[in-house]
Amino acid sequence: MSGALGPEYTIVLGVFATMIMVMLAKNRTILAYWAALAAVVVSGVWTIILWSDRALPLSLYAQGVTVDGFSLVINGLVLLASAGALLIGWNDERYGADFPALVLLALLGMMVLGLANNFLVLFLGIELLSLPLYILAASGGYAESREAGLKYLLLGAFSSGILLFGLALLYGASGTMVFTQLGNSPLILPLAGAGLALTVVGLVFKLGIIPFHMWVPDVYEGSPLPVTSYMAFGTKVAAAAVLLRFLFFGFSLAVGWWEPALGYLAVLTMVAGNLLALAQKDMKRLLAYSGIANAGYVLVGISAHNQSGARAMLFYLLVYGLAVLAAFAVFTMVAGDRKSVSLNDLTGLARRSPWLTAFLTVAMLSLAGIPLTGGFVGKFYLLQAALYANEPGLAIGLVVGAMIGLAAYVRPLQRAFQAGDGAVVPIRWPIAGAVVVIIAVLGTIGLGVYPAPIVHIVNHSAAFDWLH
Amino acid sequence: MFLVWLLAVPLAGAIVTLWAPAKGAKGVAAITSFVALLGYVGLLFVNRAGVNWPWIAAWGVRFHLQADGLGLFLLGLNAVLFVVAILASSEDMGRIYYFWLLVLEFAVAGLFAAVDLFVFYVFWEVLLVPVFFLLTQWSGARGRTAALKWLIMNLVGSFFMLVGIVAVAVIHHQNGGAFTFEIAALSGMAIPAGIATWLFFAFLVAFWIKAPLWPLHGWMPDTYGESPAPVTALISGVLSKAGIYGILRVMMPIFLPQFRQFQLLLLILAAIGLLYGALAALRQTDMKMVTAYGSLSHMAMMALGIFSLTEAGILGTTYYMVAHGLMVGGLFIVLGLLESRTGTRTIQDMAGLNQSAPRLAAYFLFFVLGTLGLPGLPGFVGEYMIIQGLIQSQVVFAVIAGFVLVVAAWYMLRVFQAVMQGPARSSAIRDLLARQVAWLVPLAGLVVFIGIWPAGITSHAVPSLYHVMHFASQGGGR
Repeated sequence: MSGALGPEYTIVLGVFATMIMVMLAKNRTILAYWAALAAVVVSGVWTIILWSDRALPLSLYAQGVTVDGFSLVINGLVLLASAGALLIGWNDERYGADFPALVLLALLGMMVLGLANNFLVLFLGIELLSLPLYILAASGGYAESREAGLKYLLLGAFSSGILLFGLALLYGASGTMVFTQLGNSPLILPLAGAGLALTVVGLVFKLGIIPFHMWVPDVYEGSPLPVTSYMAFGTKVAAAAVLLRFLFFGFSLAVGWWEPALGYLAVLTMVAGNLLALAQKDMKRLLAYSGIANAGYVLVGISAHNQSGARAMLFYLLVYGLAVLAAFAVFTMVAGDRKSVSLNDLTGLARRSPWLTAFLTVAMLSLAGIPLTGGFVGKFYLLQAALYANEPGLAIGLVVGAMIGLAAYVRPLQRAFQAGDGAVVPIRWPIAGAVVVIIAVLGTIGLGVYPAPIVHIVNHSAAFDWLH
Repeated sequence: MFLVWLLAVPLAGAIVTLWAPAKGAKGVAAITSFVALLGYVGLLFVNRAGVNWPWIAAWGVRFHLQADGLGLFLLGLNAVLFVVAILASSEDMGRIYYFWLLVLEFAVAGLFAAVDLFVFYVFWEVLLVPVFFLLTQWSGARGRTAALKWLIMNLVGSFFMLVGIVAVAVIHHQNGGAFTFEIAALSGMAIPAGIATWLFFAFLVAFWIKAPLWPLHGWMPDTYGESPAPVTALISGVLSKAGIYGILRVMMPIFLPQFRQFQLLLLILAAIGLLYGALAALRQTDMKMVTAYGSLSHMAMMALGIFSLTEAGILGTTYYMVAHGLMVGGLFIVLGLLESRTGTRTIQDMAGLNQSAPRLAAYFLFFVLGTLGLPGLPGFVGEYMIIQGLIQSQVVFAVIAGFVLVVAAWYMLRVFQAVMQGPARSSAIRDLLARQVAWLVPLAGLVVFIGIWPAGITSHAVPSLYHVMHFASQGGGR
């Protein structure tokens, strides 16, 4: 079917439209934002239409890309992430006029990663995702932001090199570039093992898994708030999606090679990420470590290596993303003209803005995994996946991580409910940010109270029949 | 449908209080809790039908609520104590305080009605949140520490229980059964022995912490000491019962062989808790902490009743939960009224208050006598049945329990004597107001009523306990 790549082509057109808007109307940057948002919406609608298409799954371009339920759900998630980033940073002159175009370019990279079934497409996606994000990280204009951009560029290039080397070794060992053909190819063993290891390292670097997480806190802290939210949500979705597809499609038969290693990494990341989050005073750094820990939860879904694992991962990415969007939207409003929000800035928030406090409470409780929020249902699904895979260690690591994380997430809440000193300064509500926070909070509660429809969708998207 | 009423009314009322005028919030909350109480009357006398709606079909989770003999009277305890606690709260607490109280009532009602493990767990954790915020904002100087301790200790237990819940469902599924969280379907299932022990303790720790039972009561002193009196009354009166109730509702049907296997260990732990609570209560100088440690000791008494694994013991515990909830709730509220008048909780600073406040002294004495187990009041019935159960299974523990009853009389009467009797040393205090008597009278009346007619509760509880007790009496008791 010809329209299977429609969502991606829409974004390509959207990039051009946005750039033309920037050039034509120099003083009215808001037009570029509208163009970008329109592209995201059209692409989203197209994705929904494709969902009901009977022709899927579909393999295109010599098996280079696969359009299936999984890729469509990934499309939906990254579109949500980019819409959130656009709206949080809506028409803010601090980030420069090219902000919307760069967001769309990175979005295209994320969507390509969701489709990738080939080493080349994988690498193209990674680069397409990373290059705009390097610029976006530096777009704040202040020293920390430039530092973040440079750090991200250097370490990102390093990881791309590792990834590329790994892919080259795998090609040399198997003679194919297509994930789905790896299983049937005779592999030259030491070469293939090294290639697999390097590829996985390159990908978990993007995901921010300990011990490859060093760049995450610094880059998150230095980047402007909307960019941080984009990296925390969108990048993780794309990296997790391609890692899952690469391993499930390519190495489903050789699970012994990667499953134990990923399991240990997941436990390490969940526990250590949450421990590190405990000590943070800056909210961006808190969410950076929280993002690391949550990447660990996502990895549980992958290393469980069963259908529930893939489904739980998709579900968890959605609830995590919604909580992150809500938290970042609130922090952006609290920050106002400042670059970041510290624990002290939250003191007395309940007095300044009861509603924002309520929204922040929902987001934090969801990250902590309290029932009636989506975060709980997501963790519950991951526990199912881990126990179905007969991996009690993963399940225990998950709850131990959640316990530690809990203390990190309730601290900002206690600050918010503490009586502040001095005058009560009201908070300005930008409409675009309010839209993000309200949708994200409603979604979080909705997924906690009645997750059945989304569970149904993810169960149909990750139909990897060769797994149990 | 009255069961849904019990959940929906507090939740709706909670949302309404958010928009109520600051001074009117208490009125809205009081009306809401009263309407919920009416719903309970309907549940008791008109229709006890439960609900069983599909919730998450893919995981076999159903929103299944049921009011059987185990939970029926705890639901009543919940409805009654919330009316009293809201009426006993001050008007200046602000609307958010009443919002959290009503959310708490909703969560507890759901907990006592849930018969699906997923639903049970959802309410089990949701109820931590309102208490956390109540402790954070409306408590003493160390309230924030107390709140963190409460949340973290309780969640540590619950998270392991969560793994246990999922594991039980997965094992049931892998054994060839349906993937379900329905307690009735999971009861008596076969679990490999090694795993079963782990799961047993994963569940037990959660309930042990919530009750709390020694040695996992670390959150208790701070929480009880820092929270405002109505909240303390709710925590010790209603929430603590959730731990004991969970053991009965969730663990008994699934883990009966493990209860038999570890019976002696559990009895010993509970007996140590019984003694520890009573002796610690003797040493306290703060009258609220005397009651708190006394309550710790009574929770251990309920645990002993269950671990006796006899009909009498388990039935006694179901009855004693309700009785103790009403009495200790009333006692904490009376203590709160006393504290608001004297400004202190230290026993040595007060004496002879019965001269200026005879009515307050009378209610104080009433609830003190109730908790120490005076015949005619419900504490006696519950303790009698539990001791009977212990005599049937392990007589040593019956002796210990009997000894603790004496200590209980000692520590409770010591407080009463020091505070109320003797020559008046401090200045006179105001006696109870008419509106305070207005809700203390029905509470006391209810206590007397179930004290002289315990069969009203036990006869309802027997059919629901039948399975549990049938299993238990097969080999647990000797």
